[in-house]
Amino acid sequence: MEERQYDLIFICRPDTPEPEIDKIIATVEHAATEKGGKIQSTEKWGRRRMAYVVKRLREGYYVYMVVRSDHSEVIKELERRLKVSDAVIKYLTVRLDEELKRQDKLKKHRERRAARRPRRAAPGTPTGGEQTAATA
Amino acid sequence: MADEPVSNPPAAPGAGAPGGHAPSGYHPRPAGGPGGPRPQGPRPGGPRRGKRNFVRKKKVCRFCVDKSDFIDYKRAEILAPFLQERGKILPRRMTGTCARHQRWLAVAIKRAQNIALLPFSAEL
Repeated sequence: MEERQYDLIFICRPDTPEPEIDKIIATVEHAATEKGGKIQSTEKWGRRRMAYVVKRLREGYYVYMVVRSDHSEVIKELERRLKVSDAVIKYLTVRLDEELKRQDKLKKHRERRAARRPRRAAPGTPTGGEQTAATA
Repeated sequence: MADEPVSNPPAAPGAGAPGGHAPSGYHPRPAGGPGGPRPQGPRPGGPRRGKRNFVRKKKVCRFCVDKSDFIDYKRAEILAPFLQERGKILPRRMTGTCARHQRWLAVAIKRAQNIALLPFSAEL
């Protein structure tokens, strides 16, 4: 099967000490590799205000990861682990590879079209530029 | 059917009558465009003397202007302007977003809501 790409975001309690967060990240990484997945990148967004109250908390420590895998077992396992973890108050996984594929396709299409007709409708282009300048 | 030749002619004038206002308004405006110079107040000798003169600004899809092929749900700050005060998603007719981008935008907003980057509804 084709490799899939997922976004994984989880929110920890804001009072969680940094080493503990690192530990959670490490266990997630370990679990992913064990199931045949791969962590492509990890980003700590840090403490930020949440848009609504979650478990009576207004703030949370956001961690963002990109996971690659060719089957969904990895995600199942990661979600299970995040669910049982006490420090994690919320998590979200989003499968993104199909959207990224679509994005690539549209981009290529756009470039191809631009290459085929570099200057089309000369009187139309200045007004377009004027428009964007006016709104900006 | 005997109706067919009759049913066609009424359709054409019906479509022409409401459209009759718009062309008359557009003729004296060559290439002003949105943001360009626009005649203010009632035009002298205009065809719609008694009516209110609505000049609608043409709304452009913001994502088409940026040529974006993907709306990132992680960037709450670009999604926030498309929410109402109470947290509802603004309709297309308000924001001018094109159909395709509105579809992507709605998905992105809903994802952002799920991870508390955007509110489902305003509190209190």
